Amino acid sequence: PRRSRGPGPAGAMGPELEPLLQAWSYFRRRKFGQCSELCSQLLKRPPAEQVAASTLQAFYVILIQAAWSLKTRALTEMVYVDEIDIDEEGIAEMMLDENAIAQVARPGTSLKLPGTSQGGGPSPAVRPVTQSGRPITGFVRPSTQSGRPSTMEQAIKTPRTGLTARPITSASGRYGRLGTASMITNPDGPFINLSRLNLAKYAQKPKLAKALFEYIFHHENDVKNALDLAALATEHAQFKDWWWKVQIGKCYYRLGLYREAEKQFKSALKQQDMVDTILYLAKVYLRLDQPVTALNVFKQGLDRFPGEVTLICGIARIYEEMNNISLAAEHYKDVLKQDNTHVEAIACIGSNHFYSDQPEMALRFYRRLLQMGVHNCQLFNNLGLCCFYAQQYDMTLSSFERALFLAENEEETADVWYNLGHVAVGIGDLNLAYQCFKLTLVNNNDYAEAYNNLAVLEMQKGHIEQARALLQTASSLAPHLYEPHFNFAILSEKVGDLQRSYTAAQKSEEAFPGHVDTQQLIQQLKEHFAML
Amino acid sequence: MSLFKARDWWSTILGEKEEFDQGCLCVADVDNSGSGQDKIIVGSYMGYLRIFNPHPVKPGDGVQPEDLLLEVQLREPILQVEVGKFVSGTEGLHLAVLHCRKLCVYAVSGTLGNVEHGNQYQIKLMYEHNLQRTACNMTYGPFGGVKGRDLICIQSMDGMLMLFEQESYAFGRFLPGFLLPGPLTYSSRTDSFITVSSCRQVESYKYQVLAFATDADERQEAEQQKRSSGKRLAVDWVLNIGEQALDIRVVCFDQAVSSVFVLGERNFFCLKDNGQIRFMKKLDYSPSCFIPYCSVKEGTINTLVGNHNKILNVYQDVTLKWAAQLPHIPVSVKVANLQDLQGVIVTLSDDGHLQCSYLGTDPSVFQAPRVESREINYEEYDAEMKELQKIIKEATITQDILPKPEKHRDLVVTAEVSPNLDAESQAIDSEVKAEAVPSVTVKITIQSRVTAQKPNLAVCVQAPLAVTCDQFFFDDLEPDSSETVVLSVFLKGNCSPSELEGNCFVSYDIATGIPKVAQCNFKLPLQLICSPAQPSKAANHKLTIDTNKPPVSFLTIFSDFVDPSEEDQANVLGFQFLTGSKTTLLASKTSQRYRIQSDQLEDLWLITKELTLRLEEHFKKQNCKDFACTFSGSIPLQEYFELIDRHFELRLNAEKFQELLSERAVQFRAIERRLLTRFKDKTPAPLQHLDTLLEGTFREVIALADAAEENQANMFQAFTKLKSATHLVIMLISLWQKLSTDQVAILEATFLPLAEDTQELGWEETVDAAVSYLLRTCLSKSSKEQALTLSSQLSMPKDTSRLKKNITLFCDRLAKGGRLSLSTDSATQQAAVIPGGCTTIPESDLEERIVIPGSTPTLPNQGKITKQKSKP
Repeated sequence: PRRSRGPGPAGAMGPELEPLLQAWSYFRRRKFGQCSELCSQLLKRPPAEQVAASTLQAFYVILIQAAWSLKTRALTEMVYVDEIDIDEEGIAEMMLDENAIAQVARPGTSLKLPGTSQGGGPSPAVRPVTQSGRPITGFVRPSTQSGRPSTMEQAIKTPRTGLTARPITSASGRYGRLGTASMITNPDGPFINLSRLNLAKYAQKPKLAKALFEYIFHHENDVKNALDLAALATEHAQFKDWWWKVQIGKCYYRLGLYREAEKQFKSALKQQDMVDTILYLAKVYLRLDQPVTALNVFKQGLDRFPGEVTLICGIARIYEEMNNISLAAEHYKDVLKQDNTHVEAIACIGSNHFYSDQPEMALRFYRRLLQMGVHNCQLFNNLGLCCFYAQQYDMTLSSFERALFLAENEEETADVWYNLGHVAVGIGDLNLAYQCFKLTLVNNNDYAEAYNNLAVLEMQKGHIEQARALLQTASSLAPHLYEPHFNFAILSEKVGDLQRSYTAAQKSEEAFPGHVDTQQLIQQLKEHFAML
Repeated sequence: MSLFKARDWWSTILGEKEEFDQGCLCVADVDNSGSGQDKIIVGSYMGYLRIFNPHPVKPGDGVQPEDLLLEVQLREPILQVEVGKFVSGTEGLHLAVLHCRKLCVYAVSGTLGNVEHGNQYQIKLMYEHNLQRTACNMTYGPFGGVKGRDLICIQSMDGMLMLFEQESYAFGRFLPGFLLPGPLTYSSRTDSFITVSSCRQVESYKYQVLAFATDADERQEAEQQKRSSGKRLAVDWVLNIGEQALDIRVVCFDQAVSSVFVLGERNFFCLKDNGQIRFMKKLDYSPSCFIPYCSVKEGTINTLVGNHNKILNVYQDVTLKWAAQLPHIPVSVKVANLQDLQGVIVTLSDDGHLQCSYLGTDPSVFQAPRVESREINYEEYDAEMKELQKIIKEATITQDILPKPEKHRDLVVTAEVSPNLDAESQAIDSEVKAEAVPSVTVKITIQSRVTAQKPNLAVCVQAPLAVTCDQFFFDDLEPDSSETVVLSVFLKGNCSPSELEGNCFVSYDIATGIPKVAQCNFKLPLQLICSPAQPSKAANHKLTIDTNKPPVSFLTIFSDFVDPSEEDQANVLGFQFLTGSKTTLLASKTSQRYRIQSDQLEDLWLITKELTLRLEEHFKKQNCKDFACTFSGSIPLQEYFELIDRHFELRLNAEKFQELLSERAVQFRAIERRLLTRFKDKTPAPLQHLDTLLEGTFREVIALADAAEENQANMFQAFTKLKSATHLVIMLISLWQKLSTDQVAILEATFLPLAEDTQELGWEETVDAAVSYLLRTCLSKSSKEQALTLSSQLSMPKDTSRLKKNITLFCDRLAKGGRLSLSTDSATQQAAVIPGGCTTIPESDLEERIVIPGSTPTLPNQGKITKQKSKP
């Protein structure tokens, strides 16, 4: 439709707004597509139509700038993802880590040594662990799978299933996909051609520069140019604008210059306390593997902004990663005191209760999530398990049924079948259990736990060879689990193959040093060897 | 995510396809009824102005006709509606309506009718201002501290603040550094205007300062072009919040200190009067509107924040007190007193959904969709279950891990080698230095009796032979259809192959999706790699094969190599390999012997094999069953060992190269790291020729890699020769000792492992392990030898002396009558040997069930709680 500038006569379609005003209103209502389209129309319009008289030249420039800036912001918002939540560490970053201070960190000061639990975290016998040896958390975050393998070889040899594969460097990884639109081809070519921008010119104009920076950083994902712009702009602002410092820090972080990023964030905090800056700084420390410093940063932040949920949640996450489950749970409870709709906190407390033998409590938390409108496979799966362990058998199967119904991919289906297998083992229906585990493997061929459990069932049937093969598969798929090793050790010991039993037992001990049965087995084997 | 929903008290939908935004909703006692009852005033971008006075009989009632007090269509879009004391001489409330280019102030009045629906309301225009610039939003208040009346300040799209003292225009001022308008509000305590500029700063301008600054209009006339160069409007205070704001509100309640609330796009700020942050909260959602209102608790302020997830959050300072689900995304939220009900939440969505609601514990009506459930017929289910169990049992009883042996082939693949060489050679990229490299055509046919999906044919011949095309993809095959492909085989590498055979595989899925494989082998003619030549008398290596039948003329058995016209070739025949070496075949005229001679040991193999094969074939044709070849001379072990040494030496070389390469690579990385720290340094230090060093190391690495590659090629050739020689040795041993086919198979398994020859696991150690195993088991002399333990891991030996010793010993033992067999007495077997033939005990054999008492293997007790993926 034709849009007239200024107050036009009320047509059949009703009165119309001025396009820039309309675009601005669309932007405020987050209708970015419409906003960007309107701005494009504004920008396309030939100057002759706009500029009736030469006196309006200056206005025209302003108008064009405003439309340009608005479109930049709209395009950015369309793909915006909070930078704090993005975290990905590629193999190259992990292994060529030049920021490590000590090869062997003291207990409790590093995230690299997961085994150092002081808070009385549950043992792997009770709570399953991830590949890096941390207890499984109740909430999937980008960084939950971060475990640092100790050598390059191990990093590359870690079974690279679809769920654990990590990119060689983060530059090639998810950044390219998460929150950027640089891959989306635009029929008219890119809105802003970065190579032709005179960054120095824009850096002089703070009102344009900030929007432009966000566009380059989030939309184009071009960290280098973004950094150039930010560096020029902060200079132009005489290093008095904390916002630019934070942006430079963000760029440095992406480029892997953590110490430089730290400097920028600290300097920004000196000028102005901001929650985001604190979060970024803590993120840097976490990447530098200094969880204790990160904790301090959070705590100082809490002094300034008491009750800030993101800060408390950050503390809780660190404690969780450091295996200090009780403190983590405490902080998650603090989070709930501030914001009782916090899904992550509810889920984590729920799973804590579940693994500390309080399925009834866990059930209440999960039910709360359900009431709040979370409606997915994982939740029903957890509800089903809680119901089973809380002896509410009537709800168990229907929960699992729903979970299967809601499963979005084969991995989720596999998880549900695996847990159903557990239920079947619990009620003694070994045939059903066998079928469940088989179905798990049909859905996810890399499910080490299912292989292990299937092996146990085979062992009870007396199929030694099959059990052995299954256990070997399980231990090669998931070397971090102690169960396959231990079962293999027992199996080998029973058939008299003491040598293999001993090696397997040693692997089991490596995976779970505190396992009493393993220790007893090793002791027994050693006595055997001594006798020989 | 919220537990409860906002309870609907009264709601309506305004107009059709009308648009509303932040300024379009206002709540006030606009008709000055004096009852303290608020009316809801809504303007739309389509120009409709509506005033409501909701009074539902009971909560949740629909809209009654008399709720709508007034509806007029104004001719222009309504950007904002506000109610205040806008008319001079009276303290009554009037309605200000902001259009794009006009500001109108109306008086709203009602005339009471006899009955309620007889009430009449009308608006009367008090005054209007035409605006020079497009307006954007406005604020009002007692600017400059005037008592009893409100002044209006309008912000235009291009950044001018226009101030109106009721009926008259006061002045206009440009905001400095303006680009796009931000929210605007007036703080009466500090008498200043607060806005958020495009530089993402909260800026506060004193009214006084504005009033005394250069007038925008004058300035515009003076310096039309350079707007920004005028005297800057002095800012009272600035706070950089680093984001754009959606709205600003100033609150000044009795119990709380006066504060400025700013709703940013990602955070929510509360500022002090002087612009310092009192508190802030990071929002994990996209807010759409907010309103601070009074709190019950001393010193705190409650705020309602609406967001784009249709949730209305109630915060007490930063603590979330309540969250309520709304049916729409609010663009504006107000708190009103309606019908003696205090604190009704009024929300407006951008498509005209107007709702008055209150908080309550009505659960948010989230209902999990029903799982498809049927009436359960237990009998049917039981029957079906039994059926399925039966199928499962049948499937598991025949060991489901191993595939069932196939009784009849669904898909047959046949290969046919053409008897003659190609008239025109198809060889490509051959490295052989002969002038013509012949090729031979192979025709492969796939016949399918069932539907084969995505059949995929792979043809492979042992290097140095090669095929013109080794992969073929076909469309799905119909039942009883066939496909034929033609390809050519030729000699590619510059050495003779160790066997003249090839095989082809077809992989395909049958209709049920199960992958299957069919394969066949084909034999290649000898002409492919050698041609007849002049026999030579002298040679380094000679072999004599005895037979028990009179000699056969080469004219009959090697008809393809002998020209029938040349009589003298009947018992002497020369072969010229493409790679250059020669082999001569001689038949004794008197005795039943054949002699093969050549300069290279490995070249004897193919000819010897061909000879025995053709002799056997010849005698088979003559129905002569007792034909046999024998070998009586000594096995040419010494020559064989030379080949082993040659191969081993190359392996040692390869290891050396690998070590050197890794050394250089480490050096390269070290230099790189140094360079990186240099470059990252804030104060750049000189490179000190590190770059030259880097370049040099790089070249070394490349040179080493080239050398390693060459060595690898040599090693490959050496290995092919070794394989040929091994074949020969195996053949000679079997002829010599007259071994049965089973024993030959063991011999082949021992000397020709299937594994590839690699640096980590090479031929020498594999064969050594196999030979020593045989020596310790079936060829052992005493039980003492059996006790020797196997080293558990194979690794590259230091030299080949042990291997040679073992092979010599092996031959000795065979000569002394050792028998090759794997099924030796199990009592003398080592326990470490894996029980072979892994047939499992069938399920029915209950007696044999192994019970593991005591320490039963633990089930991992992980009720694996899978992770929550949901995001709020």
